[in-house]
Amino acid sequence: MPEAMQERLTDIGPPKYDKFLPPIIKENYGKWAYHEVLKPGVMVHVSETGKKLFTVRAGSPRLISVEKIRNYADLADKYCDGYLRFTSRNNVEFLLTKEENIDPLIKDLRTIGHPVGGMQNSISNIVHTQGWIHCHSAATDASGIVKSVMDELIGHFENMDLPGKLRIALACCLNMCGAVHCSDIAILGVHRRPPKIDHEHLYKTCEIPSVSASCPTAAIRPVVVNGKQSVEVIEERCMFCANCYTVCPSMKLNDPLNDGVSIWVGGKVSNARHEPMFSKLAIPFLPNNPPRWPEVTTAVKDLVELWAKNARKYERMGEWIERIGWPKFFRMAGIEFRKEHIDDFKHAGLTFKRSTHLTF
Amino acid sequence: MAKTAEEIADVIFNMVKEATGLKKLKATDLTKAVIELHPDVDKQLCKDAIKILMNSGRCVYTYFGGSYIELPHRESAAND
Amino acid sequence: MADNTVKTPMLDELEKGKWPSFVKEIKMAAKKSPMAQDLLGQLEQSYNEKIGHWKHGGIVGVMGYGGGVIGRYSDLPDKFPNVSHFHTIRINHPSGWFYTSKALRTLCDIWERHGSGLTNMHGSTGDIIFLGTSTPHLEPIFSELTKEGFDLGGSGSDVRTPSCCVGPARCEWACYDTLALTYDLTMSFQDELHRPAFPYKYKFKMSGCPNDCVASIARSDMSIIGTWRDSIQVNKDAVLEYASKGMNIQKDIVENCPAKCMEWDGKELHIENSYCRRCMHCINIMPKALRPGKDRGATVLIGAKAPIIEGALLSSVLFPFIKIEPPYKQIKDVVAKIWDVWSEEGKNRERIGEFIQRVGLGNFLEAIEVEPVAEMVAHPRENPYVFYEEYFEEDEGEEEEK
Repeated sequence: MPEAMQERLTDIGPPKYDKFLPPIIKENYGKWAYHEVLKPGVMVHVSETGKKLFTVRAGSPRLISVEKIRNYADLADKYCDGYLRFTSRNNVEFLLTKEENIDPLIKDLRTIGHPVGGMQNSISNIVHTQGWIHCHSAATDASGIVKSVMDELIGHFENMDLPGKLRIALACCLNMCGAVHCSDIAILGVHRRPPKIDHEHLYKTCEIPSVSASCPTAAIRPVVVNGKQSVEVIEERCMFCANCYTVCPSMKLNDPLNDGVSIWVGGKVSNARHEPMFSKLAIPFLPNNPPRWPEVTTAVKDLVELWAKNARKYERMGEWIERIGWPKFFRMAGIEFRKEHIDDFKHAGLTFKRSTHLTF
Repeated sequence: MAKTAEEIADVIFNMVKEATGLKKLKATDLTKAVIELHPDVDKQLCKDAIKILMNSGRCVYTYFGGSYIELPHRESAAND
Repeated sequence: MADNTVKTPMLDELEKGKWPSFVKEIKMAAKKSPMAQDLLGQLEQSYNEKIGHWKHGGIVGVMGYGGGVIGRYSDLPDKFPNVSHFHTIRINHPSGWFYTSKALRTLCDIWERHGSGLTNMHGSTGDIIFLGTSTPHLEPIFSELTKEGFDLGGSGSDVRTPSCCVGPARCEWACYDTLALTYDLTMSFQDELHRPAFPYKYKFKMSGCPNDCVASIARSDMSIIGTWRDSIQVNKDAVLEYASKGMNIQKDIVENCPAKCMEWDGKELHIENSYCRRCMHCINIMPKALRPGKDRGATVLIGAKAPIIEGALLSSVLFPFIKIEPPYKQIKDVVAKIWDVWSEEGKNRERIGEFIQRVGLGNFLEAIEVEPVAEMVAHPRENPYVFYEEYFEEDEGEEEEK
């Protein structure tokens, strides 16, 4: 073992990025003067030296096979000397120096089923989590909903026909791997019942003080069940966050009858115009209805079209709603306002309407 | 005499062993406990000692919401 | 063995439609990989039953590291033996997610030899994700990756893989070199990235301008967002060109300015830069005419996180403006102090943002030796419950510091 350990390389870190930068980027690094979007999914960056770099952006399902990556590599070799990159929203970008290669590349991308777009006033790719493909705590699937929603919205990916940018994100539980809580539309998997405690195994696998401490509302306390150390949950205090399940596998919340999806709107991360803001609850619950989640798909599409029809130029979802007011948003969206919409966690009072600025 | 990283590794190993089944310890818990026992030992030496334990396989990192240091064992979720 | 005739009518529905299909990807991988084949079977069952079938492993990894591998086991191992183990590997991506076709093929070859052939390009934090392998393959994958110059990313209570926007590599708005800083921090904190020693995770995200393309303000414990101190650079002729091509400068630009610091008289755009909030809107809309100033650096913010445990937080200002130049001493010095205080006082699974909420920003600043400035708050306190620390002693008649 010691010899093997000596041969092991560790702590080498990632490859340095400049190994993978195309020559045109190396030569114009930090010298870009401006860019223009030429058509959906295609932009040009012009350097102070006059050099031009063309980018073609294509959508992907994020979950891709090595075979697809090899397809990308082949296209990069064919059209851009082997250079490409990925974006923070799981799109793939081909970096071209020859303008005449743009259209043939787009044609080849379409042939392998990848749409080109996602720039400027369009819907970019949905960022999302693993769902039932790979996660133990998922309250819903991720890839299936994303696929179904994007099948409906692909026209807004391939065209720049919206008032402003619209960012959709999906997280399959409250852990929210990714920034869904600051999205124009967030699709969030939720549980609705308290954990089902496996008293037989809990004492063997979980540390009871850690389980108690994991609960944000102090709903979990130690108890002895059938002579075994375990915990109990004060059910009226449980808001189904599943944090206890993260520290203790014997506190399962997954429940096919009651798990589903909630829809949140009006968040953003960019500082452009309005400061960054969190998404707010629009629809408390929609059922899990695989394989295409028609209720979720329809709800998201309706929200997109409502915003597209009513927002002013450049207005993000949250900016639009802030201008018209939430009551009007609920009326226009045809969404019933319910008890679930009112915050009751910390600082809830700051979310109450504390003025007479109301529309009728 | 100043302690070596190997000696601190043994101290930490014993702490982990004694806590097994009672409490999962984090790197910070162990570092604090070592420094309380041996005030002349610094954080870097504790770090080096933990690295020795990990590289030798005497201890492993585990994850349950947060990261812990434990003795190697078969975890309950594992399938054969 | 995998049953190659397994029927997946639910999933087959998701091969239809115009958006690229993840089911097609899994099926593509399933031609060669029994793991991908069993993944299809298990996922079809999840679609039928509306529940996931994974168990979280907490112990698998490569020797010596505490991060980079997420243990996963099927709870239906008898029915789907090929996904009995289905661990994830996180591989630290190159800054800016740039690749050559050769590097991608190298990664594909390694993954085809040792796993399901399924990936995420990329995971939420930024890593390359290899989705699904078994415990005996972990060391061989690691050794083949490191031979090719790749290393694992973070997971657990460690520094998570730092990530950044495309930066100066392809963006005229980058106010500092996001790729260089990301690489430097990643290399400087290799030990903290691979060997979890914190109360909980610590994320760095580098955005070159306030558009924040990597959402650093929403999800990173330390958000480093490019900005500038001097005046927006204006190309007057280009402004006129936008106007002549039909842009309504008054409506599209001036009226959307959150600071109301602009005026347009039909000929010239006047900007009162001392009121400019660096929001980027005007620059976004007229990239040929307007550019960030020349005295560039970054605003450093701290403490963003998703809801678990104590509620979601956005990052808040720590340094309103600093220059970002190697060796990045100011950032590294403050990070060292933050980690010291947090490791000492932080509770198990408490992110830095929650820690600051608990101890108070004022006390936290004292502990890390940073002076409070007005830029750190949206507004000063409204409540009068002040913990006064300075007062007069009766007999001395002088102000006495406690």
